[in-house]
Amino acid sequence: MKKILQTIVIAMGLLPVWLMPAGAGTLTIAQNFDPQTLWPNGTTASDNLNAGSVIVQSLFWEDPRDHKFKPLLATSYELETPTSVLIKLRAGVKFTNGEPMNADAVVHSINIFKDKKQAPSYGLYTGAFDTVEKVDDLTVRLKLKKPYPPIKVALEAIAITPPKYWAEVGLEKFGQRPIGTGPFKFKSWVRDDKLVMEKNTDYWGKLPDGIDTLVFRPVPDDLARTAGLITGEFSVAKDLPVTAIPQIEAQSNLKLVPVSSYRAYQVGLSSLEEHKSPLQKKIVRQALNYAIDKQAIIDNLFFGKAKPLNGQVLRPEQLGYNPDIKDYPYDPEKAKKMLAEAGYPEGFEIPFKFPTGRYAQDREVSEAIAGMLSKVGVTAKMISLEPGEFLRQLRVKELAPMYFVGFAPPNDPAITAGLFKSDWRYTTIADEELDRIIDAGATEMDVTKRGDLYKKMNAILHDEAPLIFLYYGSDIYGTTSKLKNFMPRGDGRFFLYGVSLDD
Amino acid sequence: MLEYIVRRLILTIPVVFGILVISFMLTHLSGDPTDLILPPDVTEEARAAFREIHGLDQPIWTQFIRFCIHASQGDFGNSLRFQEPAISLVMERMAATTELAVAAMSMAIIIGVPAGVFAAYHRNTFIDITVRGLSLLGQALPSFYLAILAIIVFAVWLRWLPTGGRGSWIHLILPATTLAFQLVALIARVTRSCMLDVLGQDYIRTARAKGLSEWSVVWLHGLRNAFIPVLTVIGLQVGFLMGGVVVTETVFSWPGVGRLAIQAIYARDFPVVQAVVLLFAMIFVIVNLIVDLLYAVLDPRISYR
Repeated sequence: MKKILQTIVIAMGLLPVWLMPAGAGTLTIAQNFDPQTLWPNGTTASDNLNAGSVIVQSLFWEDPRDHKFKPLLATSYELETPTSVLIKLRAGVKFTNGEPMNADAVVHSINIFKDKKQAPSYGLYTGAFDTVEKVDDLTVRLKLKKPYPPIKVALEAIAITPPKYWAEVGLEKFGQRPIGTGPFKFKSWVRDDKLVMEKNTDYWGKLPDGIDTLVFRPVPDDLARTAGLITGEFSVAKDLPVTAIPQIEAQSNLKLVPVSSYRAYQVGLSSLEEHKSPLQKKIVRQALNYAIDKQAIIDNLFFGKAKPLNGQVLRPEQLGYNPDIKDYPYDPEKAKKMLAEAGYPEGFEIPFKFPTGRYAQDREVSEAIAGMLSKVGVTAKMISLEPGEFLRQLRVKELAPMYFVGFAPPNDPAITAGLFKSDWRYTTIADEELDRIIDAGATEMDVTKRGDLYKKMNAILHDEAPLIFLYYGSDIYGTTSKLKNFMPRGDGRFFLYGVSLDD
Repeated sequence: MLEYIVRRLILTIPVVFGILVISFMLTHLSGDPTDLILPPDVTEEARAAFREIHGLDQPIWTQFIRFCIHASQGDFGNSLRFQEPAISLVMERMAATTELAVAAMSMAIIIGVPAGVFAAYHRNTFIDITVRGLSLLGQALPSFYLAILAIIVFAVWLRWLPTGGRGSWIHLILPATTLAFQLVALIARVTRSCMLDVLGQDYIRTARAKGLSEWSVVWLHGLRNAFIPVLTVIGLQVGFLMGGVVVTETVFSWPGVGRLAIQAIYARDFPVVQAVVLLFAMIFVIVNLIVDLLYAVLDPRISYR
């Protein structure tokens, strides 16, 4: 018996040799989900886009390292008129099946992008798209129905696909066996297990150093993703739980990469007429802002990695950020006084809806908020919702008067502003002046004027307080310390441009 | 015998139909899939186009009748998330799930049955108490907890086994063991109590009196008689196994049907959920038919007409 045990233990000791990660030159990335499709215009889910856009590239991209809008398959774009965009393409680029990347390919790709049947998830971007035409082999003209300031966001999203191959295989099959112009090309894919890409030696740009093979692994369990990073099975793990932060920081061969997310967490406070509640009084909404200790939430529930909203809805690097606005300070005494002034010296009771399992720490944050509100006399009756039901109620304005939510609109102030327009599906405010500013911003092509409009919008929103300003979430990535210059973006996207892997 | 099998198979038709009705109704009651599959800020126009493509704009009865007609031909429609036939998504992952389920079940039988026999034979000794204690623990520990514990100990601390994924047999060890753990416990307990019953019977005394070896008395005469209830439990546990793979596959990133099912449920991907439910139900029905047929093999007094 002892002998057998000994043999087993020795045999187990040998196992790790077989478990060695695939070896130098391989970058293994663990994400939450397996892509549903590798065609980047199939969905807006970041896990899909991260994998798909390594193969299928777009015209431009925004580099999270310096927030600059950089060319990819296009070299530049210019506005001939406010409703006509001239796009110049990069010369000499070929798809990996040999088809040329030219005006025909781009016209074909834009036509698919704006088709609501084929790319329904991008309907928000293409409302202003009219027609697209080839000017010459490397120039394309995109006509708009109206001036459309967020054009960059749309140009960045269009996935350029080879027309012949697309016609041959169709949308579905393309998503399974994509062909593009990117730094890596498709090799094999066992669904829900392993997606393998190899480097495209004919790539038009600079390949990331030291990466020959790229592997995407879907690992749904948070703890398993953390464990695999620690054991070296993964070189990059996305969306780690906040509780893993100390563990990863303690390992010298790992690097913690916290990314300030674009997702702005807030408590929606409806001031709309149809939602009768004390929140219809501005002073009450302001009082609730004084009642919440944002920093305590950030420090205790996010290990200090989240960032406050600064009392406005745009980030410091966005056009229209207003540096004059500061967060409402935490001042429960003042909050109480204001509530008394509003006619609620004893506070009031109000329903408070929140999702469970949609956002990081959603339940914990909501409980903390309810606790803080109770200190100023406001009793929040907590109603927890399953994510699907939460989204349905959001869409039909049933969450009001008060709910916890995180918005991550595409990266343009006009789109964020749209969330507060009186006719938007789930707005919490209807204010004529605000509407005028938002409408003006939605067609203003002059950058300075645009910036001023959104600064003004931020000031109104701060004062009217149709929300409790909370924090930007933090996306936690862990990587091997051999990976250099890896910087994901706040929308859950990461790119391999300029990244290198040491031996 | 053949006639019996045919009759049983025909009887499964109403069962399967009932399952189809229930799974169709429950999934459609859960809400509108466009809330979860499309981003919250898409236009109503795009949302309507999506509903139209997948027939979700039709009245529920029309949807149900069409679903029944197609399902009877093995077509569950396209997955709302993947835009591919739901049934092919499920079948693609079936091999991985079968591998895991068979490994776990074999492990459970190979360990559970002898453990139960030993415990019964050495009743109230140290062996018996250990087996009973362990099987109590096995049934009490939830599998998701056990799975995480196993990853921390064997993958992170000891570095003997990978944290997850599918590949060589090494990848199979942790998920199969975790899945087998509760089954071992149950099978051991049932085997023990049945064996206790049998070992007190007259024919066991007769077998000993004939001078048969103790081995032959216990394993051939004893176990064979005690095995029918054990087999029943094993058959029923196939249902448990199908539920267990959902948890185990998720924690260990095993590319199987269980994980597909859980993601489909979260996303309200109706066609996939329905295909999985039906497939699992059919497996359950068929395994239990096989179990019934095995009774006759084990016990010549049982015959089917």
